[in-house]
Amino acid sequence: MLVASLLAGCSGGDGRTVITFFQFKPEAQQYFQDLARQFERANPGIRVVVDNPADPETALRTRLVKNDVPDVMTLNANGTFGEFASAKIFRDFSSDPVLDHVNPAYLKVIGALGSGGKGEVNGVPFAANASGLLYNEDLFAKYHVAVPRTFDELIAAAEKFKKAGITPFYGMLADAWTAQSPLAPLSSQLQPGDFFQQRFADRTTFAQGWRSTASELAQLYRYTQPDPLSKGYEDGTAAFAKGQSAMLLLGSYAVPQIRASKPKFTIGSMALPATNDPARTTLVSGVDVVITAARHGAHQREVSRFIDFLMQPKVMTAYCKAQVAIPTLQGLRNDDPALKGVQGYINAGKIVGFTDHQFIAAIPLAPLLQTFLLSGNESRFLSDLDSDWDKVAQRRTWGLGAVTS
Amino acid sequence: MSAQLAEPPVARGTAPRRRTRPGGTDRVNWWLTALLLVLALTIAIPLYFAVVTALKTTDQLGGTGFGLPTHVQWSNFADAWRLTDFPRTALNSAIITVGAVVLTLLTNSMVAYAIARNMSRKLFKGLYYYFVSALFVPFPIIMLPVAKETALLHLDNRLGLVLLYVVYGLAFNIFIFTAYIQSIPSELEEAAAMDGASTWGIFWRVIFPLLAPMNATVGILTCLWAWNDFLLPLVILSDPGSATLPLVQYVFQSQFQTNYPAAFASYLMAMAPLLLVYVFAQRWVISGVTRGAVK
Amino acid sequence: MTATNLPASDADVTTTIPDAKAGRRRSATRLPRTFYLMVLPALVLFIVFHTVPVIQGVYYSFTDSPGYGPSNLVGFRNYIALFTDPRVLHAYWFTFLIAGVATILVNIVSLAIAVGLNAKIKFKTTLRGVYFIPNVLAILVVGYIFNYLFSNSLPALGSKLGIDFLSTSLLTKASTAWIAIVILAVWQSAAFNIIIYIAGLQTVPQDIYEAAAIDGASPWRRFRDITFPMIAGFFTINMVLSLKGFLQIFDHIVALTGGGPGTDTESVALLIYKGGFQGGEYGYQSANAVVFFIVIVVFSIVQLRFLQRREMSI
Repeated sequence: MLVASLLAGCSGGDGRTVITFFQFKPEAQQYFQDLARQFERANPGIRVVVDNPADPETALRTRLVKNDVPDVMTLNANGTFGEFASAKIFRDFSSDPVLDHVNPAYLKVIGALGSGGKGEVNGVPFAANASGLLYNEDLFAKYHVAVPRTFDELIAAAEKFKKAGITPFYGMLADAWTAQSPLAPLSSQLQPGDFFQQRFADRTTFAQGWRSTASELAQLYRYTQPDPLSKGYEDGTAAFAKGQSAMLLLGSYAVPQIRASKPKFTIGSMALPATNDPARTTLVSGVDVVITAARHGAHQREVSRFIDFLMQPKVMTAYCKAQVAIPTLQGLRNDDPALKGVQGYINAGKIVGFTDHQFIAAIPLAPLLQTFLLSGNESRFLSDLDSDWDKVAQRRTWGLGAVTS
Repeated sequence: MSAQLAEPPVARGTAPRRRTRPGGTDRVNWWLTALLLVLALTIAIPLYFAVVTALKTTDQLGGTGFGLPTHVQWSNFADAWRLTDFPRTALNSAIITVGAVVLTLLTNSMVAYAIARNMSRKLFKGLYYYFVSALFVPFPIIMLPVAKETALLHLDNRLGLVLLYVVYGLAFNIFIFTAYIQSIPSELEEAAAMDGASTWGIFWRVIFPLLAPMNATVGILTCLWAWNDFLLPLVILSDPGSATLPLVQYVFQSQFQTNYPAAFASYLMAMAPLLLVYVFAQRWVISGVTRGAVK
Repeated sequence: MTATNLPASDADVTTTIPDAKAGRRRSATRLPRTFYLMVLPALVLFIVFHTVPVIQGVYYSFTDSPGYGPSNLVGFRNYIALFTDPRVLHAYWFTFLIAGVATILVNIVSLAIAVGLNAKIKFKTTLRGVYFIPNVLAILVVGYIFNYLFSNSLPALGSKLGIDFLSTSLLTKASTAWIAIVILAVWQSAAFNIIIYIAGLQTVPQDIYEAAAIDGASPWRRFRDITFPMIAGFFTINMVLSLKGFLQIFDHIVALTGGGPGTDTESVALLIYKGGFQGGEYGYQSANAVVFFIVIVVFSIVQLRFLQRREMSI
C-alpha cells in the first residue's frame, strides 16, 4: 500500500489528466469539492484533486519549497498573495480573455498587492467582500437609532446602546486579526492618499500618518463588552446572532458564520464612517477569493478550462449567494439584504483595498493591535509599528515597495 | 517527545531490585490513598469536560460548562466523523504509526547494539555523540530543507514520513538503548560466540529478546510521537489523501469554522484509539516503561 | 550517574557516556564486519535526512531566502539583526521563564506523586495507570480543551464564586497567560516523569529504611537523606530532558495563546515558525534557529555539570 501510493504519480492511472486544486477557505471546502465533481463530469478527460490543507499559508509555502506549485489555487488576496506574485510564482493573466468582464476596480486591488512584472495580472478575482460594519436592524429600530453617516454619529449610537445596557460592539480580540477589520476603513479614510508609497520610500512614519486612525480605533474599542480578549471570532459572531450586541466590526464575510447561529433579525451593513463628512466615506472591499494558477504548470490548457468553468456567471452567482460575497464580474450583483447597505458604494465605485494588506507578513500587525487595544497606549503602538516596519525593511532585500512598482 | 531514560544498574548482581517489605510498615496508608485519588481528579476533569461538551448542542454551551447535557446530541460525533473523513485519516495515522514503530524497533536497537559494544573504539564513540547531538537541534531549522529533499526523492508521502520518524528517533533511542545494552553482561554473547553464532545471530537471538522492556518503552514513545505529531506530516505529505488525524483536527480549529461540540467530538475521536489501546495494555505499558527505565 | 542507584559504588558519574568497560574486553580482537553493516544504513539515512538539512538550514541563515526561489547571501546581517530585535529577545526571555518554572515544577510534582504511588497505598496499579494518561494524549488537542476551560469555564466559575482573579480569562493577560501555559505543561509531562521516578524509587532497597526507622528519622529526613541521594541519577536525567523539552516548547502555546496577547507569550520555537513560515523570513529565522541550537546545547551542558557535581557531593 505504501509503495502503491509512492508510485502513484501524475496521471490518474485511468488516462485522465490530473490537476491539483489548492483551496484555502475552510468554510467553502464542500462547495468547491462539489464544483470540482461537476467540472469532472463535464470534462471526462480531467481529474481535479482538491486539497484543503491545514494552515494554508504554511502549506503553500512548503509546496513552493518543494517546487510543487499547485496547478490551480484559490487564495485570499492579501499581503502573502502579493509576495508570491512578486516572486513570479503565478501565471500572468493580463492577456487572458477570462479577465474581460471582471470589474477593473478589483484588478486594481490585486495589482496593488504586487505582481510578477509591470503590467502583469497574477490572478482572477472571483469573489469580493465588503468590510465595514454589520448591525442588528431590529435593535436599531427598537432603540430608534438611525444608521450613522459620520464618525460622531457612530459614537453617539454606541453611547445610546451602552446606556440601554446593550454591548455596542462585540470585542473578539482573542482572534487578533479581527482588529484589522475596522482598522482598514479607518486608516484608508484618514491617512494621506499616498501614505504607503511614502512609507515604503521612508519619507513618512505611522506616527505622522496614522495618529487619528489609532485614536479612533481605540475609541471604538471602548464600547466593547468587558474582557474582549477572552472572546474570539466564533464567540463574537454567535453573541451577535443572539442579539447580545448591536454592531459587529466585521465585514460581509462574517455573515454566513452569523447565520449559522440562526439570528432572528435582519443583518444590516454599512460602510464605516471615519470622518464627519459623509461624502468622504469609502467602502473597503478586498478580493476575498482570487483564483490563480502556477506560472509554469504542466497542464496549462486543462487549468484554463477549469478557471473558465469557475468564472461562469452562474457559478460565481451561486457561490456569492452562498457565501454572501460580492461577484466580481461586471453586471452581476448579490441582492442579499446583508449587502444592501454597502451596495451604493459598490455601484458608485467608491471602493478601496485593505490597507493592512500592504504590510509585509513579518510585521506583527495583529499582535501589535491587540496589545494596543488593551493598553490604549497610542504613541507606543505607532512607534512600535514604525520600528517593526523599519527593522523588517532593513533585513529584507526583496518584496518591498510592491505598491510603487 | 517527553522526558524519559534508561538506567542501567552498574554493579550487576549486587543491586537488590525489589525487596520484601520490612515487617511492621505493612499497613495501607489510607490518607495517602485518598490524597492521590483526589489529585487524580485533575486528570479526570478535563477529560470529563471534553466528553460532556462533545455531547451538547451549541445552545447548551456557556456557564462553567461542567453540567451534563440536557439533551444528548450524538450527531456531533457523526458530523466530526464526516468532516474529518475519519476512517481514511485514522487509517493513514495507523499505517504511519505502525510502520514507524515496527521499523524503529527493528533498526534502532541494532544500531545501538553495534555502538554499545564498541564504545571503546573512537569511531563508534564518535557515532554515539553524532547521533545523540541531534537531540538538541531545534526542528524548525530542518523543516523546509527536509521537505524539499523528500519531495526530490519522491518521499513526500507516508513511506517517507515513516522513514523520517525512524531516522529522527535515532537520537533519543540510541541514547537509551546504548545505556541499557551496556548493562547486559557480555558473558552470554561470548558463550553464544563460542557455539559458533555470528554477530548477527547473537544480536537477534540473544540480545534482541533481552531488550523487551526497552523495546516496550521505545515502542510506546514512538507510537505516541507518530500518532500525535502535527508539524512533520504538515510539511512532508503532499497528497491530501494521506492526511493524518492531527492535520484534519487543525482544519477544525482554524478560524471561521469552530463548532465547539463537533470540534470536541473530533478531539475525542482522535484521542480514542490510543486511549483504548492504552486502557487495555495499561498494566503492560506501565511495567514496560518502568522496567525499561531501570531494567 | 549510572552508579547512583546503588548505595555504595565506585561512582562512575559520566552521565551520558555509557562506561566503556563492556567494550574493553573486545577491543583486542578484530571487529566483526557485521557491526559496521549494522550502523551503516542508519548512518547514511541520518546524514541524508538530518545532517544535510541542518547544513542547508545553516546555509539559509546567511541568506535572505523566503524559503523558495532565488536568494542572496547576506553574510552575518541576519545574526546582527537578531540581537537588536526586541521581539526575538523577548521570546528568549519568555522561553527561559517557561522552561525554568515548568522544569522545576514538573520534577517536584512528579517526584512527590511518585513517592506517593510507591508507598503502601490501595489501588496502586490503577492509580499509576491513571497518572500516565496525560502522556498518551496529544498536547495540541489537550491544549484546545484547556483553552476552552481557561477562557470560558474558569472565568464563569470565578465570577460565581466571587474570585476576582479568576473572573477574567487567564489567557488574556501577559501577566497570567504564562501560568496557564505552565499548568498545561506540568499536567501533560508530569505523567512520564512520575513513571521514571517510580522506576528509580523501586531501586532503593527497603532495608535501608529499616535502619533509619530505628533511629527515629522523620519521613522528610528519610526522603532527604536516603531516598533522594539514591535516585539522584534519575533526577539529573529528568531535569536535563525536561529542560531540553521545555526550551523547545511549541504545541502548548499554539493551542493556548497562539503567542498572544500581542507577542507576549511567543516562545523561540513559535517565533521561528511564525516568522519563518507565515512571515516569510525564512533566512532570518534560520539564523535564530542556529543561535537557539547553541543556547540549548550550552544550557544542557551547564545543567548537566552542575547536577552531576551535586550528585557526587551527596
